[in-house]
Amino acid sequence: MTHPDNPQDPGNPQDPPHSRSLQHPASAPDPATTAPPSGTTDGPGARDTSRRTGSGFGRVLVLVYGIFAISATARASVQLLRDWHEAPVAYGLSALAAVVYVVATIALARGSATSRTVAWTAVGVELVGVLAVGAWSLLDPATFPEPTVWSGFGVGYGFVPLVLPVVGLTWLWRTRPPQNSTSRPKDTA
Amino acid sequence: MVLPLVLLAVALCAALTGWAGWFVARDRAVVLKQLWGGAVIEGVILLQMIVAGVLAATGSSAGDPVKLWGYLITALFILPVAAVWAFAERTRWSSVVLAVAAITVAFLEWRLWQIWTA
Repeated sequence: MTHPDNPQDPGNPQDPPHSRSLQHPASAPDPATTAPPSGTTDGPGARDTSRRTGSGFGRVLVLVYGIFAISATARASVQLLRDWHEAPVAYGLSALAAVVYVVATIALARGSATSRTVAWTAVGVELVGVLAVGAWSLLDPATFPEPTVWSGFGVGYGFVPLVLPVVGLTWLWRTRPPQNSTSRPKDTA
Repeated sequence: MVLPLVLLAVALCAALTGWAGWFVARDRAVVLKQLWGGAVIEGVILLQMIVAGVLAATGSSAGDPVKLWGYLITALFILPVAAVWAFAERTRWSSVVLAVAAITVAFLEWRLWQIWTA
């Protein structure tokens, strides 16, 4: 997995060593990387403008994407290499899902301008994919004799695959660079 | 032999999740002690791998070996990767990362049990 500490990002210096385990209100000069001092909930909506996509709440998001990338890749590998003939369409879509998760994980973890564009595209494809495959699997169950990540809108994974792209797109929007603050980002793809 | 090991791993994951959750509530980042807790879970997974290997060697293993080992190897890698990822973040979100990772390993253990007894 890409290491998160990107020294090229000028707006987000490394966390100072004094914040190892507790946030000290008196010594928190960096509002971009330091949690609010008074226990304020810093959820996805709080002061995230121009923050890196892979830190703060984004770190949890990247972890969940990473877990889905690993598990979808593992599942798709077994399905394609061993059981390809059983359900080619379903297993092909499994592989597509795996690729999308891998790309989204790397792009969200990197968080550069290019990665942001890639992340918009990957998470967008993910949302379309889970909706399309979810609907398809319900209308035509014969094509999906074995479950995939996206069949039944991700019911086998507690509907996390359905919620994840919505959270991902929201997070990308919340952390968008400030120069795009009044208009839609041109790289929405 | 297999069921106690799965239950032990799930119980340890639940404990680690609770510990990390307590840190989230306290607005604290992950500390090294918690990673030692994760290392104990890793030890249990390694023990499961040894048991699975012995069972396979003696011909008494059940379930789909490819899936079984896929889940075992995936479970083994989740916590170390999450630990590195969490430790780079010095906010409460690192504790959330550890909690999510521990929940994931518990879920994988449950699936492992399903495959093992299939």
